[in-house]
Amino acid sequence: MRCKSKRSFTVMDPSLPCYILSFVLIGCVQSSLGDPQQHNETRHHEYCVLGAGPAGLQMGFFLNKAKRDYIILERNSGPGSFFNKYPRHRKLISINKIHTGRQNREFNLRHDWNSLLSDKPDLLFKRVSGEFYPPADSFPAYLSVFSKELGLKVRYGVDVGRIRAVLLASGRRYILTDQHAADYTCSVLLVATGLWVPQEVEFVGSDLVEGYESISTDPEDYRNQAVLILGKGNAAFETAQSILGSASRVHMLSSSPVRLAWQTHYVGDLRAVNNELLDTYQLKSLDGLLEARLEKVVIAPRKEQSSRRRRSGVEKREKKGKLFLTLNKYLQNRGEKNDSGVAGEELPGFHYDNFSMRKPYDRVIRCLGFRFNFSVFDGSACPPNSENAKGRLPGVTAWYEGTNTPGLFVLGTAAHSRDYRASAGGFVHGFRYTVRAVHRVLERRRHGAKWPSTRLSTSQLQSWILKRVGEASGTYQMFEVLGDVILLRGSHCEYLEEFPLQALPRLSSLSGHGVSDHGLIVLLMQYGKTKIDFLGRSRAETDWTKAWKSNFLHPVLYYYDTPPTDMKLRPHGWPLPRPKAIHHMVEDFLTEWDGPVSHIQPLRRFLEHAVQTDLRSFYAESCFRFSLTHRKPPLFCQHGYLKQQGVAHDRQPWQNVDVAGLTPAETDSDASGADPALPNYLSGAGASVSSGLKLDL
Amino acid sequence: MTFFPTEIMCVWMCLSVFLLWMRSGGCTEKANTSDLMEYTAADFYEKLHSGKMMFIYFEHQVSPTVSLFLVELEKSVEALQDYGLDMSRSSVPVSSLKIYLTLCLKLSSLSSPSTSSAILREEVKYVHTDADLLAMEKAARGKKDLVLGYVRSLGTQEHRSMMETAYVYGSKYQFILITGGPVLKHLGVDELSHSSQVWFLHCRLHSSYRSPMTSERCPLTRMRKPLSTLSLHSFLQLMEAPLSEVYEDPSSVQPPVFPYQQTPQVFLFARPATEHLDRETAVTLAWRLRGLALLVLVHRYMLDDFTQEVTSCFHAEAFLLILLEYVKYLTLHDFNEVLDLFTNEEEGEEDEDEAVEEDSHVGELDDEVAASLYENRGDLLDMDSITQLTSENFHAAVAQSSLTVVLFYLRWDAVAMAFLSSYIEVAERLEGSEVQMCAVDCGEWTDLCAAQTGGSPPIPFRPITPELTVENLPSFLSLGKALLLLFVGEEEDEIGWRQNQALLEEMRGVVELGGGKMERYLACWIHLGRTPAGMSVLGSYLGSMPPLPALVLTHLPSGDEIYQYPSNTPIGAPAVLQWLQRVEDGKESPAGMLGDDSWPPAHDFYDFLKVMDMQEPESAQQRTPSAHDHYEDVDEATVEGNDVEEGTGSSSSSRLSAPDNNANLHSEL
Repeated sequence: MRCKSKRSFTVMDPSLPCYILSFVLIGCVQSSLGDPQQHNETRHHEYCVLGAGPAGLQMGFFLNKAKRDYIILERNSGPGSFFNKYPRHRKLISINKIHTGRQNREFNLRHDWNSLLSDKPDLLFKRVSGEFYPPADSFPAYLSVFSKELGLKVRYGVDVGRIRAVLLASGRRYILTDQHAADYTCSVLLVATGLWVPQEVEFVGSDLVEGYESISTDPEDYRNQAVLILGKGNAAFETAQSILGSASRVHMLSSSPVRLAWQTHYVGDLRAVNNELLDTYQLKSLDGLLEARLEKVVIAPRKEQSSRRRRSGVEKREKKGKLFLTLNKYLQNRGEKNDSGVAGEELPGFHYDNFSMRKPYDRVIRCLGFRFNFSVFDGSACPPNSENAKGRLPGVTAWYEGTNTPGLFVLGTAAHSRDYRASAGGFVHGFRYTVRAVHRVLERRRHGAKWPSTRLSTSQLQSWILKRVGEASGTYQMFEVLGDVILLRGSHCEYLEEFPLQALPRLSSLSGHGVSDHGLIVLLMQYGKTKIDFLGRSRAETDWTKAWKSNFLHPVLYYYDTPPTDMKLRPHGWPLPRPKAIHHMVEDFLTEWDGPVSHIQPLRRFLEHAVQTDLRSFYAESCFRFSLTHRKPPLFCQHGYLKQQGVAHDRQPWQNVDVAGLTPAETDSDASGADPALPNYLSGAGASVSSGLKLDL
Repeated sequence: MTFFPTEIMCVWMCLSVFLLWMRSGGCTEKANTSDLMEYTAADFYEKLHSGKMMFIYFEHQVSPTVSLFLVELEKSVEALQDYGLDMSRSSVPVSSLKIYLTLCLKLSSLSSPSTSSAILREEVKYVHTDADLLAMEKAARGKKDLVLGYVRSLGTQEHRSMMETAYVYGSKYQFILITGGPVLKHLGVDELSHSSQVWFLHCRLHSSYRSPMTSERCPLTRMRKPLSTLSLHSFLQLMEAPLSEVYEDPSSVQPPVFPYQQTPQVFLFARPATEHLDRETAVTLAWRLRGLALLVLVHRYMLDDFTQEVTSCFHAEAFLLILLEYVKYLTLHDFNEVLDLFTNEEEGEEDEDEAVEEDSHVGELDDEVAASLYENRGDLLDMDSITQLTSENFHAAVAQSSLTVVLFYLRWDAVAMAFLSSYIEVAERLEGSEVQMCAVDCGEWTDLCAAQTGGSPPIPFRPITPELTVENLPSFLSLGKALLLLFVGEEEDEIGWRQNQALLEEMRGVVELGGGKMERYLACWIHLGRTPAGMSVLGSYLGSMPPLPALVLTHLPSGDEIYQYPSNTPIGAPAVLQWLQRVEDGKESPAGMLGDDSWPPAHDFYDFLKVMDMQEPESAQQRTPSAHDHYEDVDEATVEGNDVEEGTGSSSSSRLSAPDNNANLHSEL
């Protein structure tokens, strides 16, 4: 859910992850030395799922359905406990669009950001709330219904405090120890603990700052106060929005300018539902946004200046208890930290009389998001800090397995480092699909089941792609992360849905499907990468020949003759390496890619290029001709007409159809300028012209 | 016969022929040369400008059929020269020719060697002026009807349709092509409309039969449907006796057969008392309705009681009309009432067609199914006659009726949608019957569709020498036998019909006489009138259109060769068997080849990569190993400056922050 904002604009102390890591390592050594046989109660499951939030329960559904030996461990007494507290102002901003005008359930999931995947068509979030932005309490309620109706095996009240890995003869095991020192061992550990440790930044005076997790949500408590909020994410703006009517001024400070979700297409950026402060800022109503690196700021009260007598008593009283903002570099002679205030000369306003933050604040609130709780992992089982997201997330492979922790997978929001600030993997509507992908990887690895696929005749491929492009939710939500893989096999193909794109180099081992000489096509959804005026005049592209310049979400197909290997060298901004051929389907205002001219025909020609076969459909009469003039008619006629499933057309046969390619095999080489609109025996421009011209009477 | 030059034209033989005519004086001047001349490019252009009339063919590669023709052609050089025609051969690339030249000679007056007469069979004539047309009408009066075509441009589908039809009907009607101008004006057509048209000029019948026609011109019937081979075919069929008389109940009258299935039937009921007058009225009406409907005059005294009853409900004195398709009873007051019934409908269709013509997109679609649907995209499918099934109503709806037919379709699938419209037509006809026609939109009701599988196709009856049709070909091809395939033309008259019957008799004779030897062959035939698609098959086999009937051997398991039974040898069972033996012995040379089995894409795809590389050369290139680290961190943009302020976007305000012109990275100070 959105309110688990993972974004923060602080830079944490670079030494911090190492510090935690080394601490854990020491812990590990101690435990293995000190109490080797302390587990009085051991339970083994093939799969342990840690956390009964949306990701844990989503995985529970798949494991349950596959009848796997699993257990979901949850320290709280009910599912989704994060949502009992967060978002603090109790409004979910993941949309709950119930009315789409469509009956297609797959399509409707494109606009339902809260439901989990299941095989029960009515087990959707709309059962608990009809509101577009539902109240936060409805989410645990939904999870509870979900878990109960599916009969998922969840054990509540199990607070796992320590996780370690051991190598047994039978393979690697993860051992989870709970608060009662009871151990759970499992071959596969699925960490779905979410993000809940508040992200903090160390700076002078950071102890004077209140945290989002503990602030008052009663606007009355902010009456006529000047408030500085650190952070510009949704939590920060949600907080600002709630006090706009009572605070005297609200300033928001972080290192980067605000990023608007409707511009970045990233739902973790500021959503319009929370952006009222942008209005009051731009309309100069005493609120505002500012940028600075938080590590360099100083929050402090004014130093008592007893020796001076110039200040009036009233002014003094006003300033008392107020928090001033200054910068490290203005601090003078700060050897010791216990200095309780800043002097006037230490304030920027002393040097620059129009310094924007020269007035003090009554409160400073930290809204910097959350970080993954690394602390429960022993070194043997600890995934590394992600390279992105300021190291707040565990680093995982393209199939969500912890790097260096085989058998340990990270699910849900915590797995967002794969598509941090790029796609929807940090949010329910995105990770419900990546969880499914992880399950498929596990089914393959542990149970020999191939990635589910649909075998299609090549003549059906276009229609199938159009179906997916028109309804698929996984590739739509997890754009540029999950894509459909079509393994070409000549006259047929295997269609695999929602494969993690960055894992393509390991397609065969992860999916169990080999790639033939015919190559493969990858279908995914992409946004344009150019920064444009997103509400300006030229924001949309309608010309299909310029489809590659589409700005909005649109399908893109990549054709490779061999699976891509090096994902790192892909062209800048591309989700996949440069293919043999690429096809963009032009963005569509209605997201319905079914226009015969703009969408379908260009797609068909691309597919024809990839499979090197004419994929057009023909009426029975044309198939009749091809069947008699060739030993084999085109694929469509082979699969339809010759199987007694021809399409009769008795109205206007051959009208307006360019029959050029109807005899492609014969129009090779230099066709002596033959008119392509004529059949062979009439062909030859000059001939067909003069032939009809006979005589003047 | 105008097809002749094109007969030898096939793309894979890479040969083109031009008939050239130079206007100034060429028609009367006699040629000096006595032999076939060869031209180089320079010669050719010189000749072109000399004003002489020439018959030039361009050759490139020559197929067996063509080479045969060339031998014959060379023989006829002399004869042609008698008529002022130079015959020459040129190696000038055809594509470099941009001038359309016409041949001006009264070819009809030529009596020439066999090849020339083959060339000059008058299947399509070319008319420039109204006076020319009038002359032709006069000449044809009492002998032949004329079929006059105006095609927007030569080389189009419409042109092809005219030519193909002329091939089949050429000896029955005189075909004429016009280019527009004054002739169009006479026909009352605005040349700017640019749509191809066909008229039937009734010249053959005695003028007294056409009561309202007073002028010396032959009465005209304009074809209202868009020009295509099939529409032209049915149009011509409709020109045949538009009136028939019956003495039986209308319900026992056979419904229209191919190609009239779509044609309404109009029944007129005559009363005994006014029988003579009624017939006259019927004849007049039949003429006015020709091309639109079939008229049947029913003699009332033969009607059964039921019909008597029905008709008596209406005013007994008047005519009653019943239009099959949708049955409608009308009391006839005025011809126009009846005509309106058809013409209004037709006009409506016409408007749409014109609208479609103007649409530049239509030509872009190269998939014939998608294209035909796209043409009619303005029409909303009327789904009223079918029950739309949903997950909610499926079981209840299916339980409601003793017989339910369900069509599962996908809206984006052109083939499915093409089928849906036919399905709706069937449903409309079945309305009110026991059968419930339903459809499921699989784009919406995905769960309903997931469970469905297709049924097995029907197996048609297999006669010994079947007539191959579009419908039954697949089941015969599945036998995997070689095809001994006879092409017969449309019967012109009783005699023609008997000839065709005799041919089929011979085919049966081949099978019987051949016995076990014939096991590996399927003796079959195609009636080009009923299966016009057969024409292009034949053309494709031989690279030309041979005289009919034509017998070919194709789909041999041994190879792709196609053999043609000698067209100058009568088709008789023993001779055919001997010929088959010669083919088997390798003593016959093939007349053509089956097409390649590989069907590469007909069109290039739009190469986006190429476009990207051209327009943004770097954007689609793989990164070099050293440069790729940068990418991941771009979104970690933070303030580069030291300090804090409200962004100014100006590097001059550098007092607190380091200037940084990189818009993405710089602090909004």
